[in-house]
Amino acid sequence: MAAAIEAAARGCDVTVLDESARPGGQIYRQADPRLPGTEFAEPTELARKKRLLRRFDESLPAIDYRANTVVYAAFGNGEIHLQAEDRTEVLRPDAVVLATGVRERAIPFPGWTLPGVMFAGGAQAILKAQRTSPGRVAVVAGCGPLPIVVASQLARAGTKVAALASLRSPLAILRSLSGVWRGRDIMREGVRYGRSLLQAGVPRLTGYVPLRALGNDRLEAVQLGRVDEQGRVVPRTVREIACDLLAVNYGFIANCELAAMAGARMRHDPDGGFWLPETDEEGRTSLPWLFAAGDTAGLRGALVAESEGTIVGAAAASAVRAIAPSAALSDAVAARRRYGGFALAVRDTLAVPLALWRTATDDTVICRCENVPLSEIRSALERGHHTLNAIKRNVRPGMGWCGGRMCLHSVAVLAELHAGVAPGKMMTPRPMARPVPFAALAKQKHPAAQ
Amino acid sequence: MTAVATDVLVVGAGFYGLSSAWAMTQLRSGARITVVDEGEFASGASGRNGAGFRMQWGLDLNILLSKESTAFFENAAELLDYPRGIELKQDGYLVLAHSQNALDRLNASIAIQHRYQVPSELLDAEACMKMVPSLGRNRLVGGTYCAKDGSASPFRLLDALLIACRREGVDVRYGTRVERIEKRNGVFTASTGDGTIEADRVLLCTDWAAPQLLAPMGVELPVTSLPKEVIVTVPCTPRVRPILIALEHHMSVNQLARGSIVFVVSRAREGHTIESTPGFLAWAAPKVVDLLPGVAEVAVLRTWGGVSSVTPDMQPILGETPIEKLYVAVSSYRGFMTSPAVGRMMAALVVQGASDDPVLAQLSPSRFKTGKTIIEPLLNQE
Repeated sequence: MAAAIEAAARGCDVTVLDESARPGGQIYRQADPRLPGTEFAEPTELARKKRLLRRFDESLPAIDYRANTVVYAAFGNGEIHLQAEDRTEVLRPDAVVLATGVRERAIPFPGWTLPGVMFAGGAQAILKAQRTSPGRVAVVAGCGPLPIVVASQLARAGTKVAALASLRSPLAILRSLSGVWRGRDIMREGVRYGRSLLQAGVPRLTGYVPLRALGNDRLEAVQLGRVDEQGRVVPRTVREIACDLLAVNYGFIANCELAAMAGARMRHDPDGGFWLPETDEEGRTSLPWLFAAGDTAGLRGALVAESEGTIVGAAAASAVRAIAPSAALSDAVAARRRYGGFALAVRDTLAVPLALWRTATDDTVICRCENVPLSEIRSALERGHHTLNAIKRNVRPGMGWCGGRMCLHSVAVLAELHAGVAPGKMMTPRPMARPVPFAALAKQKHPAAQ
Repeated sequence: MTAVATDVLVVGAGFYGLSSAWAMTQLRSGARITVVDEGEFASGASGRNGAGFRMQWGLDLNILLSKESTAFFENAAELLDYPRGIELKQDGYLVLAHSQNALDRLNASIAIQHRYQVPSELLDAEACMKMVPSLGRNRLVGGTYCAKDGSASPFRLLDALLIACRREGVDVRYGTRVERIEKRNGVFTASTGDGTIEADRVLLCTDWAAPQLLAPMGVELPVTSLPKEVIVTVPCTPRVRPILIALEHHMSVNQLARGSIVFVVSRAREGHTIESTPGFLAWAAPKVVDLLPGVAEVAVLRTWGGVSSVTPDMQPILGETPIEKLYVAVSSYRGFMTSPAVGRMMAALVVQGASDDPVLAQLSPSRFKTGKTIIEPLLNQE
């Protein structure tokens, strides 16, 4: 949104392609306006949301905003292919800004595919969009700030939070005092969320991770265990807690399939978003027309994303037409510097020891689309297939519906863990980023045909 | 930098390369065999094909190559000692004609197929529609069907060959690109990115890229490449069975056991990229909907590019080059489905130095000097 606002302010024709029904993305996801009820977030966060959405709304007359529109491919020649309803269209813009955000990083454990086990961000998306809680009794687990926020918001939504299990103490962030100082207003929100957890009487289990989700057709209980610094389970610490919702977040992976598909040069950053496009300070990738903003260019959170959106939007606009820098831009540069320091401090709390992937057993499904258990991944590794492409070609993780968005990070970790080889190359990126019916592909609007 | 000495160097670890290397081990000659590949496992054309094999051809030699290969596929799990199996599926191929010309070619071909006991049969348009209800009726005039044709997993077969080769002591090296080959004093020296390999005999299985290594040695091989693109859909209810070849749509269609449908489409165009091209899907989708209205609502999951080699007569080139002990095997469009037979023939030729195989005799690299061309009527490409 910030990139679009800035580029439109600089006189560019701007089109925003949004997979969602309403503006806001994941962080500022909006419920259907007809839905009753309130939001569960802190007032200061809601104020930021309202401010950005209002700015976007004010810019809308200058923006071609397309909701429910899916970009299914990007090519090296600058073409962006999209689907909306029953047809497809090719756009050939002068500049493209990818602001595709993140998905959550999964660490598979036995039972993680049971209904009732979900990503913490997924649970939060339900709170935001439907204003209702996905469970009655919840265990929230993982690392970094999101589990704390989600546990607190679930409690506000009326869910009994039976435990908040954190890999590390939330105080771990205090190791970076300068980072904390820069993010002090956000830290205040964190403290308020923490306080509301205390008030709700939510038990905290520091150093604990989910080891197994139990239940027949759906989640009935979770086994948690304490792990040491290296991620190994400490004997005799396993405890079982009954729940119908297990919300887990172990950090994030950047959504940059479209950058890779277009042929942008990529770099590997295991805790900073997995594979990322190489970008400069203004979001330029190795392709002159392609830019990446916010978490797509490396995980740094919503506040950096908003200021960086302005910076990259300005850079993309000046790639199209030369215009002098604005005051908004220097504010954004300062804001990004400040919140970038905070993001670095948060990042340290998101590092995950590889041994956590050892909680998976032979029959634990790693690739959910193709139903590939750990044993098959290991058999491919034992047969000498150590690259993501070779493992995929042999036992299919990444060949299914999601194209490996969910599992490939785990497959890379498992290769390192079980074969001692970190795959040095990402899986060859291929269209489509999302499935599209033949009928819609046959009805295509192309700029060359206009 | 390392220097390796070997008896036989095979360049290319695709189907032709690994099949030949494995067949060489079965001859028990004691020869040291090294296979090098510039990419990783299954990264070239072998990992990008449509997975089908058929005996329905119109030329004796193609029928012979695929008949022998089909028998191998049927027993590959045991022959290669690969308990996972190769996902063999034999529910037939239906070759479709959408013009009188194509129907005439099918009629002429089926007579030759029957001469070699291929169990194929001629069907009219009604019978084709009955067999595959999702077909469109537009221009459809008939087809031929053979129940023994089918498909297998190229990845499984290639993995089975790789493991069997390594078990037999073949040195298979990925990520090793041969930059050039020279012959001095009867010994070949192949220069690679990380050292040299000296070999007594060399077999080039780099298919469409073979001329790149041959030209600097003064050997002209008339091979170019044709890009192909493959579409796979999300899994859907069974609606395409058996495998289809649509001669005029330049397409093959194979619904896999897990429900996804694979379309292999050849499209004559400029440039020789192996990757997907921007205009492809919008170009192919109307053809798919025309051929199979019953799949219009099925979603495309992924596409990828492939490439096949093109020779002047669209037949494989198999044999010794003008340079003694330098051999070449170019698939021309059907490497996967002919590889077991070609591997056996090439192994015998390379290890024993000579062959009286009648199929090899027709496919030698020297045949283009004679000016005589052989034509396969049942190719489904432009």
